[in-house]
Amino acid sequence: MNRGFGSIVLDTSFRVLVPFTLVYGIYVLVHGEYSPGGGFQAGALLAVGVVLARLVQGREAAFNIKGTTALIVAGIGTFIYGAIGFSTILFGGKFLEYGKLPFKVHDPAELHALGMLGIEIGVTICVMATIVGILDALTRGEDLS
Amino acid sequence: MLDLIIETILLVLLIGTGIAALKMKDLLASVVLFGAFSFFAMLLYLIVGAPDVAFTEAVIGVVSTVFFIAALNKLKRGAR
Repeated sequence: MNRGFGSIVLDTSFRVLVPFTLVYGIYVLVHGEYSPGGGFQAGALLAVGVVLARLVQGREAAFNIKGTTALIVAGIGTFIYGAIGFSTILFGGKFLEYGKLPFKVHDPAELHALGMLGIEIGVTICVMATIVGILDALTRGEDLS
Repeated sequence: MLDLIIETILLVLLIGTGIAALKMKDLLASVVLFGAFSFFAMLLYLIVGAPDVAFTEAVIGVVSTVFFIAALNKLKRGAR
């Protein structure tokens, strides 16, 4: 999509801020064990990226997610959480007992990190889609920009 | 000692912006002051050694400001 939008300040700040925010969200997600951050913060950062794109470009923004789609995506995130949680029950452990996950790793701690990463990916997707869905519900029927 | 001074200044600013946000007649100014309140709360969390909470507060402060302004837009902005 190659149309002019806003003024030059909005245009430039969009090009600088939105990709940085999205990449920083992914960084916070995968680096959450060693530094402040985690699933919720990463999801909120990704949602801030989408919301910024929405604020600058209006409803036809490049990263925009529709309200109904956002609901479905939030359900998918919750499903990832639940699937990982209950799959450990299927393999003979308790709910969210990462040690029972069926992956071949030499260190149980690595298994824990893997399970926690999967859980946090689910949380991230759910939080991002929920925030975008709330914004869409608040601005229904009008253009925010 | 320096920590104490910074904490005191931040607490005074926090309470000041909070009271101003409550007393303000214009709703848009109130929302912007609430964003400032959230920012000072974030700095205070950072000073007392909770970077995780500070991070959450920073991100959620931005998102809630956007939500409030979107809701104000729906309220035919300027309603008192």
